[in-house]
Amino acid sequence: MDTTSPAVFVNGALLRRYIGQKVRAVIQVIRSEIGSVVGKSTDDQQIVVKGSPQPPLTSYLEVIGIAESDNTIRAEVWTNFGDSFDAQNYNELCKLANGEFRHLFI
Amino acid sequence: MFHKQSHLYKSNDMAATFAFLKDVRPFKTAWKVQVKVIHSWRQNTENTVETLELVLSDSMSKQIHAPVLNLSKVIDESNQTDSHSEFGTSSCSSGINAEIEFNLGRGRAKNTMAVNLTAEAIAKMLNGEVASENDMTPVLQVTELKMIQSKLNQNHESSNRYKITLSDGILSQQGMLNASLNSLVVQGSIQLGSILKLTRFVCNRVQTRRIVVVADVEILVEKCDIIGTCVQSGSPNEPGRSSVFDQQRSGMGSVITQQSNGCGFEQQQAKRTDLNGGRYGASAYSPQPQVVHNSPDAVRYSVSANLPQPQVVHNSSEVGRYGLPANSPQPQVAHNSSDAGRYGGANLAQPQVGYNSSDAGRYGVPASSPQRQVGQRYGTGSGYSETSPSTRPYGSSNAGYGGSRLEQPRAPPATTAYSRPVQSSYQPQPPPMYVNRGPVARNEAPPRITPISALNPYQGRWTIKVRVTCKGVLRRFSNTRGEGKLFSFDLLDSGGGEIRVTCFNDVVDQFFDQIVVGNVYLISRGSLKPAQKNFNHLHNDYEIHLDSASTIQQCYEDDPTIPRHQFHFRNVGDIENMESNSITDLIGIVSSISPSVSIMRKNQTEVLKRSLQLKDMSGRSVEFTMWGDFCNAEGQKLQMLCDSGASPVLAVKAGRISEFNGKQVSTIGSSQLFIEPDFPEARELREWYDREGRNAHFTSISREFTGAGRQEVRKVITQIKDDKLGTSEKPDWITVCATISFMKVENFCYTACPNMNGDRPCSKKVTNNGDGTWRCEKCDKSVEECDYRYILQIQLQDHTGLTWATAFQEAGEEIIGISAKDLYYIKYEHQEEEKFEDIIRSVTFSKYIFKLKIKEETYSDEQRVKATVVKAEKINYSSDTRFMLEAMDKLRTGDANSLPVKLESSNYRSDALNSGIGTSGTRDTASVDARREFGLPAANQVGQYGNQYAGPISGITSCNACGSNGHVSANCPSLMSEPQGQYTQGRYTGGGTPRQHVGGY
Repeated sequence: MDTTSPAVFVNGALLRRYIGQKVRAVIQVIRSEIGSVVGKSTDDQQIVVKGSPQPPLTSYLEVIGIAESDNTIRAEVWTNFGDSFDAQNYNELCKLANGEFRHLFI
Repeated sequence: MFHKQSHLYKSNDMAATFAFLKDVRPFKTAWKVQVKVIHSWRQNTENTVETLELVLSDSMSKQIHAPVLNLSKVIDESNQTDSHSEFGTSSCSSGINAEIEFNLGRGRAKNTMAVNLTAEAIAKMLNGEVASENDMTPVLQVTELKMIQSKLNQNHESSNRYKITLSDGILSQQGMLNASLNSLVVQGSIQLGSILKLTRFVCNRVQTRRIVVVADVEILVEKCDIIGTCVQSGSPNEPGRSSVFDQQRSGMGSVITQQSNGCGFEQQQAKRTDLNGGRYGASAYSPQPQVVHNSPDAVRYSVSANLPQPQVVHNSSEVGRYGLPANSPQPQVAHNSSDAGRYGGANLAQPQVGYNSSDAGRYGVPASSPQRQVGQRYGTGSGYSETSPSTRPYGSSNAGYGGSRLEQPRAPPATTAYSRPVQSSYQPQPPPMYVNRGPVARNEAPPRITPISALNPYQGRWTIKVRVTCKGVLRRFSNTRGEGKLFSFDLLDSGGGEIRVTCFNDVVDQFFDQIVVGNVYLISRGSLKPAQKNFNHLHNDYEIHLDSASTIQQCYEDDPTIPRHQFHFRNVGDIENMESNSITDLIGIVSSISPSVSIMRKNQTEVLKRSLQLKDMSGRSVEFTMWGDFCNAEGQKLQMLCDSGASPVLAVKAGRISEFNGKQVSTIGSSQLFIEPDFPEARELREWYDREGRNAHFTSISREFTGAGRQEVRKVITQIKDDKLGTSEKPDWITVCATISFMKVENFCYTACPNMNGDRPCSKKVTNNGDGTWRCEKCDKSVEECDYRYILQIQLQDHTGLTWATAFQEAGEEIIGISAKDLYYIKYEHQEEEKFEDIIRSVTFSKYIFKLKIKEETYSDEQRVKATVVKAEKINYSSDTRFMLEAMDKLRTGDANSLPVKLESSNYRSDALNSGIGTSGTRDTASVDARREFGLPAANQVGQYGNQYAGPISGITSCNACGSNGHVSANCPSLMSEPQGQYTQGRYTGGGTPRQHVGGY
């Protein structure tokens, strides 16, 4: 496990704090395009994830990659998270992991 | 769990050991006496608390005065609350000889009561047994005291003498104070109510009467309320004297027929001292004191005027006294009726004598009438026919003093009874137009509406216009007097007065169907009784008992001035400080509701129960419990509203506050629930909720409520030991989130008796008879086939520790997923060892939410805390995460109870040292607001902690991250944007344990 460069839990709003850094996010897939997937972050923002996942994709995906801009991640790892996922809890986790309990995560 | 009827009926376990009254002393509280009520009357003391005054006598003829302060305790005759002192009494009042058990709550002997009046002293004086102090030195009470100015011929100086009436609690006797004692009166040592021991006195016979001339006294008590209701002693040879007025029963005096053979004025026999009469009349029952004071005159005049008349119907006196407000709300009318009685009576007799004849009676001009009957009746025609007029014995008293015409300057009035204006005796002669008026007839004028607030027991006739707000069910009861039924309903009038009406037996049949909730009625007549506060929570000291003479008339035209409901809302914050078992009205927003559950009451009946959380503008919330039918009707509606995401307003009329798990409010039989009601309070609440209440944090005054029931208190395993759970009287019910770390696979089940015992199987262990049948010791039967029931021994582990727990049948099935029988067959019948192990393996190391019952039990002198799994549920990570998030939020926003302050303050220091570097300026300033309330030293300025204290103090949720109010950090907008510094650290190690603060990042 690469502890030198941990992937930060992010939602749409937190993404811009980590531009150029490694992040992880769970998105709900809206549509797949060539070379990218357009999805909705757990805080309901639209995010473009660049890269080519292995189909088939479930409706929820976890992506780990580098934050490129406010709303783009260049993904390195794609993981199917199934079709039912508690996005709200994940969103809370993102906030905690970047707030009060940040030290536990990064 | 179930509602205890707080009202106990007449206790039957009267112990045989009764104390004597002489042994009753102050500070003794546990005593019981068997006494007879010699007298009882109601009295309004200075502070207008109505008391029931009793004079009690025991088998040794010792008497004691016992005021009963809390009238609601001594209710009717039969329904008694529990008590420490009980009285087997037999009332000697007119005609009622029932054995009654009274109780006086916790009877207390007061110091003043140590002075006992000498029993029957007056009687002995009257029959000549006692003539002077040589015979006895009686202890008597002064019930009347008047100054008499007499001119002495020798030196032409006027000297004052005091006329005195002495009472032994039963009878009273008139006398004179020796002039040498005048100074005692002047300095107030002898006053009305003083208790004196007559150390020197002579009992003389003057004409037909006995007069006590008191030469020397010992003053035992200077000030004392009048004890007893004394009968004025008349001529000893008078036959008609007897019936003791019992104010408690007759309530409003009425007709007396008395016969007397004595001399004119002496026949004006008081059945009751005027003192009491005056009190009654004057103490606010009549708005017209003037009339009250006139009324005795009415009696006097008419009686004396009617001397030759064999029979006089006398309509007036009691009207003025008691009936006045009811009969004629207009004072003027009252006056007339009183006058009419007075003069009418006089005219019947001797019109030309009029005033003079009354003088004659008063001042002792002999007006002998060999026989006479005086019948007094209420002018109201209210149909009372009991004993007791109140006739002032002026004539007789004056007669005793020589019959000369004396001026009578009165002693300073001690009570209103004595403040009768002098001029009323000398009122101008009435014009003759009254002559033919005759007695005042019944008051048949159209009913005037009396406000409920003006109702009192001393009115004969009244009419109220009311709306029925609540109607009770018909209930049946049985007591020593037989079977009976009753029902009651609550009334409200346009003045906001409320009162309960109770009907018994036949009256129930008469009115039960007529009463419909919401309708407006005119109700008249009925007696007012003290409200039984155990059952009756209305804001009224009285309740109405209807009788067959009562009328209820429906008003088909609705009266919009009478509200449909009247609430006395208290907010949740207030309820916290209210006494349990008190009744309150409540309005709040339903924030959550749990499904109905069926509760088995101790009497083996099931009852439905449903709980919900109510919050209001006080920032507090309370658990509200519905019982019985409320669960389905209103409960279902609320559930639907809550399920659809709404937060309905609920108004509760008459909920009972209980102290079960903190303060709770629950329904009682007469509760009413209003969902989304349309009145100002509800609208205000709704506005508030939409504006700010929705997001505010509420502190519950009930014990923590975690969704499915109040018993689900989430704990961690080490808390079982640390909090000493199970060691109290009752078991503790907790939930833990834990993993099964080990399971004993041997003896996972036992062979159980399948015989049905009621609606449940017996389930006792059965033993194999060896012939394929199974025997149950309890049922004493053998069965072909036995049941298998789980008795799983499992080890539970969470992040804090380990514990053993036992799971029986139902919980076992929840854990394993298949029935005990199936598992038994897999293992033993089919010998599928591998399959069995798979099942066990699938269960171990999985996480469940366990509901545990923790109870300490003793096994062969060894105390062991046992945990029993009541319910096991595979963890739902999503909902458990949500639960954890909530718990964290609660912790950070300051759930003060789980965080001992002491621990925290020491943590502050270490934390500040550890994390000082990391605490960046930005973060600090953001939370300065929250922190300053605590005045923490600068070294301890660690942002996040300020907040957890700010929460409970300000009562407003505040955010850890930005320090502002109104949201929790989870929703903090500041976190959405770029924070600029580092953060202090804290780690949450699970519910309620002290937090650890870890430095570094």
